Amino acid sequence: MSMTLEELTDRTGLTVLDHLEQQVRIPVVDGLQAQGDLIVIPLAVLDDVDVPARARWRPVPPSGVELLRGAAGGNPHTLVAEPGAAEWTTEVHDRQRLAVGVLRATRPAYLIHSEHGGSGIAPGTYLVRRQRERSTQRGGQADFLVAD
Amino acid sequence: MRPTSTAGTGRRRSATSGCGPPCTPNPPTGNAERAITGLYALLGRRRPRFHWAASPRQAVDLLDEPPLRLGGPVDPAAPWHVAHQLADAAHRLAGRLDERAGPVGTFWWTTERIVRTRPPADALAAGVSLAELLVVGVRNSLGRSVHDGLRTPLRAALTEAVGEPPGLRWHGQHDAPWVAYHDVRRRLRPGLFHPDDDRQVDLWADIARSCGWWWPREDVCVVTERTGVAHTEALPGALHGEVRTHNRHGPAVGYADGWGGHSWHGTAVPAWVIEEPTVERIGAERNVEVRRCAIERLGWDAYLDQARLTLVAEAADPGNPGCRLQLYDLPQHVWGTPARVLLAVNGSVERDGHRRRYGLSVPADLDDPVAAAGWSYGLSGEQYARLLRRT
Repeated sequence: MSMTLEELTDRTGLTVLDHLEQQVRIPVVDGLQAQGDLIVIPLAVLDDVDVPARARWRPVPPSGVELLRGAAGGNPHTLVAEPGAAEWTTEVHDRQRLAVGVLRATRPAYLIHSEHGGSGIAPGTYLVRRQRERSTQRGGQADFLVAD
Repeated sequence: MRPTSTAGTGRRRSATSGCGPPCTPNPPTGNAERAITGLYALLGRRRPRFHWAASPRQAVDLLDEPPLRLGGPVDPAAPWHVAHQLADAAHRLAGRLDERAGPVGTFWWTTERIVRTRPPADALAAGVSLAELLVVGVRNSLGRSVHDGLRTPLRAALTEAVGEPPGLRWHGQHDAPWVAYHDVRRRLRPGLFHPDDDRQVDLWADIARSCGWWWPREDVCVVTERTGVAHTEALPGALHGEVRTHNRHGPAVGYADGWGGHSWHGTAVPAWVIEEPTVERIGAERNVEVRRCAIERLGWDAYLDQARLTLVAEAADPGNPGCRLQLYDLPQHVWGTPARVLLAVNGSVERDGHRRRYGLSVPADLDDPVAAAGWSYGLSGEQYARLLRRT
């Protein structure tokens, strides 16, 4: 099942900027995909991430899970799925310390952002990571997280 | 805890705008004058004449005094002797108030670490006392937001404008950290302080609520209005609501007369960094932190275009058809340390149809643009090369 950005925003009540293409079908992909400063990575690709067996998984509600808000309270990336289609946990050990959480979907789930539009995620298990940047502060050796 | 000093500012602007300095006090300024008069009375002095300034910059002109030479014997005839006495009284008051807190202030570093790294409720659950929590969660956090945050760009701008500004001053709204800390403690435990000390805290609290920086002098007191604008953002990793100053369009902290201090993500910067950053000015700036802020303000794409930096390598951007990733070398004299910048193109279009370019600073030992893009997400170049789609 794939849908257009218009259908996705109608179903979720979330909004996107009106200059984004509304009628094009959002590809549902099972590989790596990036949405601005977030990236969705199939868990199998990674060897430096563990999800503990006791991790608590929560269903992704139709109203969505807000994953990350942009700088200064800007626009969030929201994860949405039909009832029973996907679960989400933030209990994950990521040696890169960039994990936002892990998604486990049995039917397509969608990531939506008002400026970046929609990303369709095929059934599977994925790590969602943030983007980092080498610090511009004194010393310049620490990293900090990007918030666009 | 939010710094109260950012709220409710500028409320008497309409009544005072347009009049020349010193402004005629309006009803609310009476609060500050009453409280300051109360402090003068504690020293056995009569009410001073009040001169109101729209900003600290204007206050310096009103003061018109030579830089103080401190360190010598105290001269009771000096016009600033009253400020010296007031500092002494405030110091002794703070000492008495701190004494009432018991053993706080010498608490274990492990306790402090808990309060610094866990939300307040968790810290209490972990055995931290309320008194300890208040030190870190109220006094220190307001210190970060108000002293390090709001006050710093103003002090930097004032120093840039007039050299070392006149000393022996108080900061009114920006003295909130210690005033609020003691105020919270006595609200939680009425009767904690001696009634005389309570009355003194009342005076300092009234001043913090009703004016900006002020300079007490013999028979005269120069008082600044509160700030009109304060632009802040959350301090990364803050547990107690700490903020830092930031405004990409004008002064981060400013007054009704237009004067203010500029700040970029918490770093105080000269006005040109925000108002008119250019490659030439960046090249001429001696302070590396200011250079970095100015480059970020100008935008990496514009800076890389204009500064003619060396392109290390470029490659097709995986998952972003038709777009290229470009890796540039930043000269050490620009950045202060070896650094590289990856210039990438947004996956989604802007309203005007073009795609925004953005720069990311990356470790200097990366030579491959795809590996650099991968690094930004904790991935190898091989992993990132498998990116299917970017929006």
